[in-house]
Amino acid sequence: MTVLETNLAGLELDNPVLSASGTFGSGWEGRQFSDLSTVGGLVSKTVTLKPRPGNPPPRILETPSGMLNAIGLENKGSEVFLRDSLPRMQELAESGQKDGKRGPRVIVNLGGSTAELVELTKRFCAAGVDALEINLSCPNVAHGTRSSTDPALTEEVIAAVKSVATVPVFAKLTPNITDVVPIAVAAHRGGADAVTLINTLVGMAVDWRRKKPVLGNTTGGLSGPAIKPVALRIVYQVRAALPDLPIVAVGGAHSAECVLEFVCAGASAVQFGTSLFSDPTLMVRVVNDLRDHLGEADTSIHELRSAMHESAARISTPGGASR
Amino acid sequence: MQSRVHVMQKLRDLGGGAYAVEVDGPIPETGPGQFYMLRTEKRWPVLLPRPFSLYDRGGDGSWGSFLVKPIGDGTRAICDLKVGEKLVVTGPLGRTFPTDVDNPICIAGGVGLAPFLLLARSEAAAGRKMRLLFGGRNRDALSGMEDFQDISTVFPSTDDGSHGFHGMVTGLLDELLVSGAVKEGETVFCCGPDPMMLAVADLCEKRGLRCFLSLESYMACGYGVCNGCTVKVKGERFKGWPYSKTCIEGPVYEACELVHDESH
Ligand SMILES: Cc1cc2nc3c(=O)[nH]c(=O)nc-3n(C[C@H](O)[C@H](O)[C@H](O)COP(=O)(O)OP(=O)(O)OC[C@H]3O[C@@H](n4cnc5c(N)ncnc54)[C@H](O)[C@@H]3O)c2cc1C
Ligand SMILES: Cc1cc2nc3c(=O)[nH]c(=O)nc-3n(C[C@H](O)[C@H](O)[C@H](O)COP(=O)(O)O)c2cc1C
Ligand code: FES
Repeated sequence: MTVLETNLAGLELDNPVLSASGTFGSGWEGRQFSDLSTVGGLVSKTVTLKPRPGNPPPRILETPSGMLNAIGLENKGSEVFLRDSLPRMQELAESGQKDGKRGPRVIVNLGGSTAELVELTKRFCAAGVDALEINLSCPNVAHGTRSSTDPALTEEVIAAVKSVATVPVFAKLTPNITDVVPIAVAAHRGGADAVTLINTLVGMAVDWRRKKPVLGNTTGGLSGPAIKPVALRIVYQVRAALPDLPIVAVGGAHSAECVLEFVCAGASAVQFGTSLFSDPTLMVRVVNDLRDHLGEADTSIHELRSAMHESAARISTPGGASR
Repeated sequence: MQSRVHVMQKLRDLGGGAYAVEVDGPIPETGPGQFYMLRTEKRWPVLLPRPFSLYDRGGDGSWGSFLVKPIGDGTRAICDLKVGEKLVVTGPLGRTFPTDVDNPICIAGGVGLAPFLLLARSEAAAGRKMRLLFGGRNRDALSGMEDFQDISTVFPSTDDGSHGFHGMVTGLLDELLVSGAVKEGETVFCCGPDPMMLAVADLCEKRGLRCFLSLESYMACGYGVCNGCTVKVKGERFKGWPYSKTCIEGPVYEACELVHDESH
């Protein structure tokens, strides 16, 4: 293994730097600013079986060190995605498949009911994606978060998807619950190959002059640096409870240092979301910075993964109730 | 398209609290209405970059400027830059005003003036004087007007009557229609606050003028990946989809493409 390589449930990645769902389109839009062939993977916006127009505007608002969004999973549906967007993601992936590199992995994020997810899984596995991420946690659609706040439902959905999947399946979970660990346990039991932690935190903003919520959907999901401590805490807790379940961390990452922090806490890969809005070239720079940092510290992603847990095990057991 | 660090070279006071923030090149060729996402390289007090039209550009792209009026933390940080400090500039982004319209009537309110200077220059180069209707609360609010004086025909209007036409730009437009300076069937390009654009679009429809608006939507990414900047639309171009991303399918829309929703 090179210093940057990492492995997600058998899916090998050139490096742990991925885009986060819904924050980088299909990667194609960003390629005009920098050569994306060196990033570890690209995750699509959530694709649903049928088109979804999304929520009424205003849909976004900046908040201190973060932003609220209530996009409502706007997407043109799986048919259009398979025709227009997937080939572009795959073309970007191929551009990186040289000199022994695997190129950016193509990960498609799916949303919908259990039956729809099963259908989508079949279609996307047949289309040759590298992995699937199941969005169990969108805070901006009716009943969106239910499946990832209920352990039985989480297990059922993931088991159904796994029964037809031919590629690794990641379950993307919500932080909007007192304890994420039982949900991660349920996803694991359902057969999830990895968990993606975390989706956005539900919040809202008020326009007191107009006596109205600012967002068209009333509430929205909080993302950006403001939520990084929450994401780190949840990654740490889930890793402590389930040492064998690979974790994809997401929430507020904005530098190579952030990647290394998440890796120490237990992640195998890290997604970049909101920070790509201010800098479409960020991921490529982070890959280079990671190489420098790891070189200076004479370590590797593989060695660093969960490093904190190994030292913590010698000192004390992590917080949280016993399970 | 590029995302580059540029050096601030000059801050020119345009009056009324607005500035032309000039940066070094290269600034790519940019169509009227196209914009850039800006943030200061250091001490950017907010998270997301902010969208600005390109105001002016050296013919060879060796410099460019943005018209910025401080209204919040982001715009203030840009205007607080000292010469030699740096700005991260991403663009050009978005669609231009239609380029096949000869001699459009341009209507601006406040910082909505920004997309029209380069247009006035190219019209002047083609031997025409662009008509600019420029509205503000008072004389002070007409920041940047002097830059247009020699190359275009400026029709100012102020709400308080302190300069030019006394009233709103729509009243001024009506007067110009009566005087014959503007004729039915001509095309209007408009950029300014939403209520003004709504009123202009309304009047254009009533008077048989074609009308294009450049929207100043709240944006996060500016390059089409966040789906945050959408407006409600109708018409052919959108193939039945009810929303459009202003950063890539706009910011310029024909007025008849937009659906006005009173709820927000
Ligand atoms: C395509 C485009 C081109 C633009 N060109 C220019 C330009 O050339 N010159 C210029 O000065 N400005 C321009 N703007 C507007 C400019 O981007 C906003 O004024 C800026 O983002 C405000 O940032 P801030 O941090 O200073 O204010 P904030 O703190 O973000 O906001 C201050 C106040 O203004 C309101 N506000 C912020 N952004 C907007 C907006 N886009 N529409 C309506 N209200 C808003 C907020 O709700 C708040 O009340 C343009 C916008 C777009 C979309
Ligand atoms: C504008 C926006 C749209 C998003 N859309 C999706 C989506 O479609 N599916 C999904 O699983 N997560 C979506 N997310 C959540 C992100 O993938 C990520 O989990 C979250 O933003 C936290 O990471 P960040 O702080 O790095 O942005 C979206 C986030 C934002 C800001
Ligand atoms: S501002 Fe992000 S899609 Fe338009």
